[in-house]
Amino acid sequence: MTETVIFYAFSAVILLSAFLMVTSKNIFHSALYLALTLFGVAGIYVLLNAYFIAGIQVLIYIGAIVVLTIFVINLTKEIIGEPVPLVNKNILPALITAGLAGTLIILALMKTKCLAIAAPVDHPINDTATIGKLLLGNYMVAFELASVLLLAALIGAIVIVAKDKEEAK
Amino acid sequence: MILTLTNYIMLSAVLFAIGIFGVITRRNAIGILMSAELLLNAVNINMVAVSKYITPTEMQGQIFTIFIITVAAAESVLGLAIILAIYRKRMKIHADEMDLMKY
Amino acid sequence: MNTLVLTKYLVTAGLLVPACPFVAFLIIVAFTKKFNFISSTLSILAMFGSFLLSCFILYVMLTAKTAFEYNIPWLHIGDINWDIGLLINPLTSIMLMVVTTISLLVQIYSVGYMHGDRVYPKFFAFISLFSFSMLGLVIANNFIQIYIFWELVGLCSYLLIGFWYEKPEAADASKKAFVVTRFGDFGFLVGILILSFLSKTFNFHEAEQFVKTATANGSLTPQMMTIIALLLFSGAMGKSGQFPLHVWLPDAMEGPTPVSALIHAATMVAAGVFMVARLFGIFSSSHEAMLVIAYIGAFTAIFSATIALTQDDIKRVLAYSTLSQLGYMMLALGVGGYTTGMFHLTTHAAFKALLFLCAGSVIHAMDTNDIWKMGGLGKKMPITAATFLIAALAISGIFPLAGFWSKDEILEATLLSGHKLLYYSAVITAFMTAFYMFRVFFVTFTGKGNGEHGHESPASMTIPLIILAVLSVFAGFIGMPGQNASIYTFLYMGDTPVLPEFNIKTAITSNIVALSGILLAFIIYSAKIIKAETLKKITGPLYVLSKRKFFIDEIYLFVIKYTFIALTKAIAWFDRHIVDGVVNLVGFICRWTGAKLRLTISGRIQSYALIIFSGVVIVIAVFAIYNPEALKIFGGK
Repeated sequence: MTETVIFYAFSAVILLSAFLMVTSKNIFHSALYLALTLFGVAGIYVLLNAYFIAGIQVLIYIGAIVVLTIFVINLTKEIIGEPVPLVNKNILPALITAGLAGTLIILALMKTKCLAIAAPVDHPINDTATIGKLLLGNYMVAFELASVLLLAALIGAIVIVAKDKEEAK
Repeated sequence: MILTLTNYIMLSAVLFAIGIFGVITRRNAIGILMSAELLLNAVNINMVAVSKYITPTEMQGQIFTIFIITVAAAESVLGLAIILAIYRKRMKIHADEMDLMKY
Repeated sequence: MNTLVLTKYLVTAGLLVPACPFVAFLIIVAFTKKFNFISSTLSILAMFGSFLLSCFILYVMLTAKTAFEYNIPWLHIGDINWDIGLLINPLTSIMLMVVTTISLLVQIYSVGYMHGDRVYPKFFAFISLFSFSMLGLVIANNFIQIYIFWELVGLCSYLLIGFWYEKPEAADASKKAFVVTRFGDFGFLVGILILSFLSKTFNFHEAEQFVKTATANGSLTPQMMTIIALLLFSGAMGKSGQFPLHVWLPDAMEGPTPVSALIHAATMVAAGVFMVARLFGIFSSSHEAMLVIAYIGAFTAIFSATIALTQDDIKRVLAYSTLSQLGYMMLALGVGGYTTGMFHLTTHAAFKALLFLCAGSVIHAMDTNDIWKMGGLGKKMPITAATFLIAALAISGIFPLAGFWSKDEILEATLLSGHKLLYYSAVITAFMTAFYMFRVFFVTFTGKGNGEHGHESPASMTIPLIILAVLSVFAGFIGMPGQNASIYTFLYMGDTPVLPEFNIKTAITSNIVALSGILLAFIIYSAKIIKAETLKKITGPLYVLSKRKFFIDEIYLFVIKYTFIALTKAIAWFDRHIVDGVVNLVGFICRWTGAKLRLTISGRIQSYALIIFSGVVIVIAVFAIYNPEALKIFGGK
C-alpha cells in the first residue's frame, strides 16, 4: 500500500519535472528540472530495491553530468536581450511521433504475458556485493571495455575543447 | 492495489515519449542533450524494473543499467565538448541554425 | 540421256540460275568497281551462264512435263510452317527463258549504250542484282519468298530508274515508282497474311489446295475469297501498272533506255502478270475477282492507248504502250486464258524490248527524245529502222508476226467469255496501238529530217536488235493453233490442255483493224494528206485530256495534299504533343518530386532525428495494425 503511494508520488515528480524541463524557456531552469527528475528516478530505484543503482544515479548522473551541464550552460551564455524562440517548427510532428511511440510501447506491453506478476518476496539481497561479484566475474570484459570507453571519452573531450596554440597567444 | 510490472513500464514509456518530444523540439543544443538523458533514464527504469520482477536473483538488468549510466556519462561529456567548440566558433548554439550539411 | 537422270540436276540448275548474276553482282561491287571492261564482261558471262541453264531446264521440262518442287524447312512456329524452296514447272521454265534472254541481250546492248558513262560498272552491278531478284521471284514456291524478291525487284527498279540521280527528275521518278508500287505491295502483303493465316501454310501448292477444298465445302465464303484474291491482285496492279497505280511507269522512263527495255517492258512489269498466272488456281476460285481483273485490264489497255496517241517523247509513247499491252495480258488472264496471257507476255517481251532498244539507239544518235526533232532517220540508221518496223508490225498484230498469234488468242478468249464490252474495247485498243506505233515510225524514220546527226549504232547495239527482230518474227509460232506440240500443250492449267481454235473471223477482223490504223497514221504523218494540226483542233478538249494524261497525276497530288498531308499533320501533332507529352510528363514528375524531396535534407539534426524516429514508429504502427502478433515482444499471449 505504501509502496503504491510512494510510487505514484515519485512518478508524479518525475513526469512533471520532465515535462517542465522540455518546455522551459530558460535553459538554466531546464537543467535544474533535470536534476529534480533524476532525483525522482533515484527514488524509483530505491523502491525497486536497487540501492546501488540509486546511489550511482545520484552520484554520477546528478553529481557529475548535471553539474557539467550547468558549467557548460554558463560558458555558453548568450547575449541577453535577444528574443529567442524556444521551440522550433517541428512541434506538431514531434507531438504526434512522441504520442505514437508511447502508445505503441504500451500496446506492446499489453501483449506480453509477464504482466500480472506480482512483486516477488523480498529477498534480503545484498545487492551491492552481488553486483560487485558479477561485474568482476561474469561481466569482466564489459567492465574493462567500459573503462576504455571512459578513457577515450576523456581524451576526446580534451582534444576537442583544447584551444590552438596560435589562438591562445 | 499492488504494484506490478505494468506500472513501471508505463512510467518508462511516458518518460521516453517526453524525452523524444524534447529531443525533436528543443532549440538549444544543450537542451537536446538533456532530453537525451531523459531517454536513457527511461530505459534504465525499464531495465531495473524487469530485473526485479522477472529475474530477481541474477541481476542482469542492474548490471546493464550501470553500463548505460557509464555510456551516458561519456556521451554527455563529448557532446558538451562539441557544443563548446561550436560556441567558440559561432557564439550561439541554436540547433536549427547548424545546417551546413544541407543539400 | 534419260530424263530421270537429268531431273536430278534440275534443282541444282534452278538454284544456280539466280545465283550466277548474284555472284557477278557481289564481285563487281567488291572488287571490280573501277574496271569497266571486266565488270561488263563478268555480268554478261554470268547472264549467259544463267541463259544456258534456263535452256537446260526448258529442255528437261519439255521432256518430263511434270513439276518439281524442293523444300527446306525453315521456320516452324506452332501451326504455321514456312519452308523455303523452289518450284520448277512449265510456267517457271518459260519465264526463266524470257528473263534470261532479254537480260542477256540488254546487257550486250548496254555495252554500247552506256559506253563512256562515269559509273559504268555500277550499272552492270545493278543489272545483275535485278536479274538475280527477278529470277529468284520466278523460282519462288511460297508467298514469303516471292514477296521478298518482289520487294527486291522494286528496290532494283528504284536504283536503276534513279541511276542518273543528279537529274532531279530521275530522283523524283525513282521515288515515285517505289512509293506507288508500295501501295500495291501493301495490299499484297495483307492478302498473303490473310491467306496464310487461314490456310496455315505459305506454300503455293498447299494454299491452292486449301482454297479449292475450302470453297468446295463452304468453310471459305465467296466474299472472303474475293477479298483475298483482290488483295493479292493489288500487288500485281502496282507492279504491272494497272489503273490506278499506273502513274509511275511513264515517269520511270527517266532511267537509261536499256533499263526501260529490261525492267519496264519485259520483265519487272511482267512480274505482276506472272504472279497472277502462278496463283491462277487461287484467283480462279473467285469469279468476281476474275471479272474485276479482266475489266481492270481492259480499261488499262484502252486508257493508256488513248494517252499514247498524243505523246511527243518516244519513250513515253512506248511506256504507255507497255501499260496497254499489260492490260491485254491481265484481260487474258481475267477471262480464264491462262496460257494465252503467258503467251502474250512472251511475245510482248520480245517486241517491246526491241522497240525500246531501237528507241535507245535513236536517242543515242540524236541526243533527244522528242520525235518531232527527229525525222528521216530511215536512211541514216537502216538497221534500227528495219527492226523498229518489224517490231511495230508485230505489236500491231499483223499476220504472221509474233504479236498476231498472241493478240488474236486474247481477242478470241474475250469473245468466248461472252462479255461483249471487253471484246470491243480490246479491238478498239488494237486499232489505237497500230495507229500510235506507226505515228512514231513515220515521224521518226521517214520524211525529211533535220539533217545533222544520225549515224548507225555500233555492233554491240545492233546485234541484239537483230536477234530480237528474229524472235519477234518467229516467236509466235510456238502458239499457233492446230499443232500437236505448242505452248498450249506445254503450259496449261488443270489436267488436260485446252487447245485453242482458230477463229478466222477474229483473225481477219484484227488484221483489218490494225491495217486501218496503219493507213490512218500513214495518211496523217507520212503523206500528210490530213494535217496533224487540223486534227488537233478538231478534237480540241479530247486532245488536251489525252496529252495531259487525263490529269491523273494532278488529281493524285490534290488528294494527297488535302487528305494525306492533313492526316499526317494531325498524327504528327498527336505524336508530338500527346505521346511525347506523356514521356516528358514522366521526366517532369521525376524532376518535380526530386525537387520537393530534396527539401527534406535540411542539414538540421533535429529534422533528421524526427524522420528517423518517426520512420521506426510508423513501421511498428503498421505492424500493430496489420499483424498485432508482432507486438508480442516478450513472447506474449
